[in-house]
Amino acid sequence: NITRAVMSCGQFRNSKAASSPAENYHLARRRTLQVAVSALLTECGFESAEKAAVETLTEMMQSYITEIGRCAKAYCEHTARSIPTLPDTVVALIEMGFNVDTLPVYAKRSQRMVITAPPVTNSPVTPKALSAGQKRTHPAHIPSHFPEFPDPHTYIKTPIEPVHNPFLRDVERALTRFMAKTGETQSLFKDDITAFPLIAARPSTIPYLSALLPSELELQTLEETDSSEQDDQTDSENTTGNIINDDPGADKENSMLPPSGGVPSTKASEDNVIDNPYLRPVKKPKVRRKK
Amino acid sequence: MNRKKDKGFESPRPFKLTHQVVCINNINFQRKSVIGYVELTIFPTVVNLNRIKLNSKQCRIYRVRVNELEAPFIYNDPTLEVCHHESKQRNLNYFSSAYTAAVSAVDPDAGHGELVIKVPSELWKQGDDLKVLKVYIEFSLDQPKGGLHFVVPDVEGSMAERGAHVFSFGYQNSTRFWFPCVDSYSELCTWKLEFTVDASMVAVSCGDLVETIYTHDMRKKTFHYVLPIPTAAPNISLAVGPFEILVDPYMHEVTHFCLPQLLPLLKHSMSYLHEIFEFYEEILTCRYPYSCFKTVFVDEAYVQVSSYASMSIFSTNLLHSAMIIDQTPQTRRCLAQALAQQFFGCFISRMSWADEWVLKGISGYIYGLYLKKTFGVNEYRHWIKGELDKIVDYELKMGGVLLHPTFSGGKEKDNPTPHLHFSIKHPHTLSWEYYKMFQCKAHLVMRLIENRISMEFMLQVFNKLLSLASTASSQKYQSHMWSQMLLSTHAFLKSISNVSGKDIGPLIKQWVDQSGVVKFFGSFAFNRKRNVLELEIRQDYTSSGTQKYVGPIKVTVQELDGSFNHTLQIEENSLKHDIPCHSKSRRNKKKKIPLMNGEEVDMDLSAMDADSPLLWIRIDPDMSILRKVEFEQADFMWQYQLRYERDVVAQEEAISALEKFPTPASRLALTDILEQEQCFYKVRMQACFCLARIANAMVSTWQGPPAMKSLFTRMFCCKSCPNIVKTNNFINFQSYFLQKTMPVAMALLRDVQNLCPKDVLNFILDLIKYNDNRKNKFSDNYYRAELIEALTNSLTPAISINNEVRTVDNLNADVRLILEEITRFLNMEKLLPSFRNTITVSCLRAIRQLQKNGHIPSDPSLFKSYAQYGHFVDVRIAALEALVDYTRVERSATELQWLLVMVQNDPAHYVRHKILGMLCKNPPFTKTTDSALCNEALVDQLWKLMNSGTSHDWRLRCDAVNLYYTLFGLTRPSCLPLPELGLVLNLKEKKAVLNPTIKPELGVSTVMDTPASIGIHGVGMSYTAVDEEPDPISLGVCGVGQPPQGLKRKAETPLGSPPEPGQILQQQDDDARGGRYKIRFNTMEDEDIDMETVHDSQAFIHHHLNLLERPSTPGKEPPSVEQTMLTMPSTPAPSFSKETTSLSSKHSSEHSHHHHHHHHEHKKKKKKHKHKHKHKHKHESKDKEKERERDNSHVYSNSPASGRSLRSPSLSD
Repeated sequence: NITRAVMSCGQFRNSKAASSPAENYHLARRRTLQVAVSALLTECGFESAEKAAVETLTEMMQSYITEIGRCAKAYCEHTARSIPTLPDTVVALIEMGFNVDTLPVYAKRSQRMVITAPPVTNSPVTPKALSAGQKRTHPAHIPSHFPEFPDPHTYIKTPIEPVHNPFLRDVERALTRFMAKTGETQSLFKDDITAFPLIAARPSTIPYLSALLPSELELQTLEETDSSEQDDQTDSENTTGNIINDDPGADKENSMLPPSGGVPSTKASEDNVIDNPYLRPVKKPKVRRKK
Repeated sequence: MNRKKDKGFESPRPFKLTHQVVCINNINFQRKSVIGYVELTIFPTVVNLNRIKLNSKQCRIYRVRVNELEAPFIYNDPTLEVCHHESKQRNLNYFSSAYTAAVSAVDPDAGHGELVIKVPSELWKQGDDLKVLKVYIEFSLDQPKGGLHFVVPDVEGSMAERGAHVFSFGYQNSTRFWFPCVDSYSELCTWKLEFTVDASMVAVSCGDLVETIYTHDMRKKTFHYVLPIPTAAPNISLAVGPFEILVDPYMHEVTHFCLPQLLPLLKHSMSYLHEIFEFYEEILTCRYPYSCFKTVFVDEAYVQVSSYASMSIFSTNLLHSAMIIDQTPQTRRCLAQALAQQFFGCFISRMSWADEWVLKGISGYIYGLYLKKTFGVNEYRHWIKGELDKIVDYELKMGGVLLHPTFSGGKEKDNPTPHLHFSIKHPHTLSWEYYKMFQCKAHLVMRLIENRISMEFMLQVFNKLLSLASTASSQKYQSHMWSQMLLSTHAFLKSISNVSGKDIGPLIKQWVDQSGVVKFFGSFAFNRKRNVLELEIRQDYTSSGTQKYVGPIKVTVQELDGSFNHTLQIEENSLKHDIPCHSKSRRNKKKKIPLMNGEEVDMDLSAMDADSPLLWIRIDPDMSILRKVEFEQADFMWQYQLRYERDVVAQEEAISALEKFPTPASRLALTDILEQEQCFYKVRMQACFCLARIANAMVSTWQGPPAMKSLFTRMFCCKSCPNIVKTNNFINFQSYFLQKTMPVAMALLRDVQNLCPKDVLNFILDLIKYNDNRKNKFSDNYYRAELIEALTNSLTPAISINNEVRTVDNLNADVRLILEEITRFLNMEKLLPSFRNTITVSCLRAIRQLQKNGHIPSDPSLFKSYAQYGHFVDVRIAALEALVDYTRVERSATELQWLLVMVQNDPAHYVRHKILGMLCKNPPFTKTTDSALCNEALVDQLWKLMNSGTSHDWRLRCDAVNLYYTLFGLTRPSCLPLPELGLVLNLKEKKAVLNPTIKPELGVSTVMDTPASIGIHGVGMSYTAVDEEPDPISLGVCGVGQPPQGLKRKAETPLGSPPEPGQILQQQDDDARGGRYKIRFNTMEDEDIDMETVHDSQAFIHHHLNLLERPSTPGKEPPSVEQTMLTMPSTPAPSFSKETTSLSSKHSSEHSHHHHHHHHEHKKKKKKHKHKHKHKHKHESKDKEKERERDNSHVYSNSPASGRSLRSPSLSD
């Protein structure tokens, strides 16, 4: 439990890792940590605790967080970057033997206590980077005093102006040649079967699926064109729609749902009202005993 | 006219069906089997109903009970094997009449059926109080070949996870394939349908789903359907599968079903169905007749659309996402067709097959109205013109299409369509193409009726028919109202006359009771003095497929002063018509010219003839005659017509006409049209191709860049860099279609060397190279497919030196570029498949074209792999098309065999049908050409295919008949040795009553329709089973009437006979030919005198001429002239050899047969089957008669059969 509790502060800790230390700032943080530990203890059912015990737990938590930060930083630097990203932290956690999957559920637990904002101190002023786009607001389970989300372009797919890639065709050709070389091929010439290799035709068990369903690339194109259209039109309804979609239910904030994503749920709710014989529940067999 | 004048409907049956229960207890996907029972409630209409005839095919019937009493029954399906004996006849005339007879013998519309149930005698004495009978039949189906189609993908998982499904299908009345019923469109009854299926599956069927109940083990559920509206059995259907269910968001009583994973596509594709509903209900002022509607989308569908009572089954390939442009209108059309047939075809059924045209006509007509409303008047008129052209081309090529055939007294001799190689007496004997044309003509004729009586009256008639039917449908059976739901030609015409008060008799006589279209030739002269247009309209009514037209015709003349309509009267012998002109030629005055639609336009009149005020003339502009018009007017008139006439039909006619005038003026007119955005896009597309042809004709004088190139550049390419195309944006569909078409047309351009101009090819390659669809909200798969087609069009035959083998090294540089692209496209498709695999389809066509033009080695293996089951159906068809083409070009017997094997074995019915269709369209050889492929084995194989191999699918059987006809013609295939029943025997037959060789056949035909064949099907049970046992033997013997000869013929050759004197002549080895030769000399000596006397010299000469024209013998083509001379006589010879040598043995076999035949008859008498037997007998002897006649004529006309040929060797010697 403590580990998890610690984790909820992890991001907080990490984001401050790069700032320059000041004495009272340190103290303030230490106090906040203590509050966090106390809150956790309360949550676990303790009514009181000895100061030494709280102190020890705080120390443990601090070193745990420090370790996460150090570890994440190491991973990040290993890949030639300077600022740790979420995946770095995740890898660090996994490395430390923590089950990351349990974290989201824990973070959203209902009985958690809200910790008040730490006393305002003169935190060192970092020059603000040029912000781009509209920053996302915090979801309900993240306290508002926590750092803001970074600029959307850093973690959300950005619609970019497609530039024609002159090498695309070469890439395609190379890719298909590679596929042809590594798999079974058919040839149009008898004298040189390596010229114009064709990937062998392979029957599929359900051929209509691949032939009718749009490929992922096409879906992606559709999304992009749709979103770019939205941008073009600055359709306020759609943008607000996207924000509304970011309720606690929508967990995968990393992928922007296509606008159609919202439709099925509304349809489904409609369907519940509709009286259609195919939607009615199947009846249980009648009166077995009589037979 | 023999149209039934009486109002009421007379049932051909001695009973009336009122209600039927169909219960299918078990559907086994693993074994592909079905078990169930039916219960028919019938009211006898005669006092002593002792026999009930029902329809049933391929069902295994376990027991039959009538009112709880076990009832004996006979199950006999004569269509299983049309000609039972191992006949050497092999001519299509014979087959067609036998097939028609077989279908007639079980025709429910004539009261017949495959299943004859003997009503237990206890129930006979129901006397005057005609009581209800309940006929209960238990049946099963095992691996059905027709009627029900199982799709079971071979993957892991449960049947539901695998997407396994089953659905009913068939052409016309095919319900008998999956449960016993009265399979007639005119026998209506109410229905209760129950289907027990796996709990993970859904059973969709006709009527209302009342409830769904789990079985006791909770592993299955039973779907209970009730259909209270009287419905004919052929309109009952079923689909079972793990369907995803979508309730229509606009109409909650409408439910859509699709296969797993396709729900998003279903949602999109069905999003406009409600509009179609609204449209039909509004124009018909009638609610949709059923209380619910279901659409089911299945894989491996038999046809794209099939409509049944309150449900329609569609091909799953009609589903598409919002990104797809081209499929959208097609899917909408299919839905509209299905829905139109719900009203006319399902709800209102037909009285008899002869009334089919009314239903197809009305549903096609209201579908046309939907097209007009949804896609616009231009699209509608374009469609009507296309349909008219189709039917005109078909009738002129194949002979007339008759909408309302009458068969007076059922006499075969009064065949209303002697020009056809099949009978139109039954839907099941029709060729598929003919049936399609039939439907096309039917809706066009409805449109003609509309022209005559106005659309308002037309819709009133429909409304009246529907309200009558819906009143009748809610009545109880006892009210005898149900027949109001059946539509007949007579009732329809009567309704028209009641509503409109107009007499459309002549129109009906012309287009419905008569076949053929009208062919007009028009020309004109302007008489300046009288200011009169002298129009001459001639007709060709002697060619096949034409008829004479007498009556009004509309002519529209566009003059300087405006457009004027004239109605001329086409009469027997007046060709010339004087039309006074309104305006003097005064084009100097600057004045706007008024058009037909009131618009006034400025025209450049400098191209005109200074003396004439005529701009253009149109004959029958409203297409109110089913006609083809060939009209002559000057090129500038066509150009004016193209530019200024607002009717798309006129524009299209002008474009076709301009092809004959390759001048700069035509070029300009076409280019202007191409650029004009107000112009209908399909006209512009057509202009592209015309422009390409004109450019090719003008190749030596052509100025400027290749046709269309600068236009395309201006419309679709970057301003700064004209050879780079803009990123795709298909938001404007008109320009999308133009963008797709222009490269395809451009690629048809040729330079002076008859090659595709280099810059055109590079341009197309650049289009491919710079194609960028990433900003497009629509898929570019069709566009890319068209670009590949453009590459294909650019191909020209390779310059070949000494037939060298095609290798990579000597590949032409341009072709190498093309091949690079095709390879890349085809490989990319494997990684990112396109919608309906359009790219692969185009690539396969391109590769075949490369092969055909000699750029790459001609090789079928690639196509074979793509043709395999398991590829998407469009890909398979494209590959098969390439294979069919390969077979023809390379005359490959192996590939032909491969295709025919696929016809017999492929799981997809549509693919089988398509292969035969493609083989007919692009035949490896025809009846008029010679080919090494044409041999006896092939004849036998195809014969077998149509005789017995396709009995489960009416359509496929007719396809096989078509192919047989295409390859061999109506008479005996020329590659066969002479028939045993050649000249001598037929002549004898004329004299003698008893002909030994005819006899076996007679016997056989007698057996054909009798219970005897039970032995073959092995299904019959109960009382027949024991008694009929000897019959198979007799049957076998009947068949043997000929097989011994067949055997003999083979044995004859090297083994059988000792060396004969004649053999010295030919130093042939063990070749069959040699064998025949040697016997020929025998024959000459032994032969009857008969034949010598009969044959006149004309036949003799004729024969020799023919021999010279067609010297080939079965098997090999003569390599040299000398050999030709020698082999010549071999064709006629064998028959006589067989005749003589086998005569005695034939006699003996005949005897034995005869014996059995009697035996057989005897048995039947005992069983009181006389009536049936007699009937068949009459029937068959009639056939026989015909057969003989035919054989006679055959002998005279078809020279190889002529006995005279015997002389030829000696002559040539």
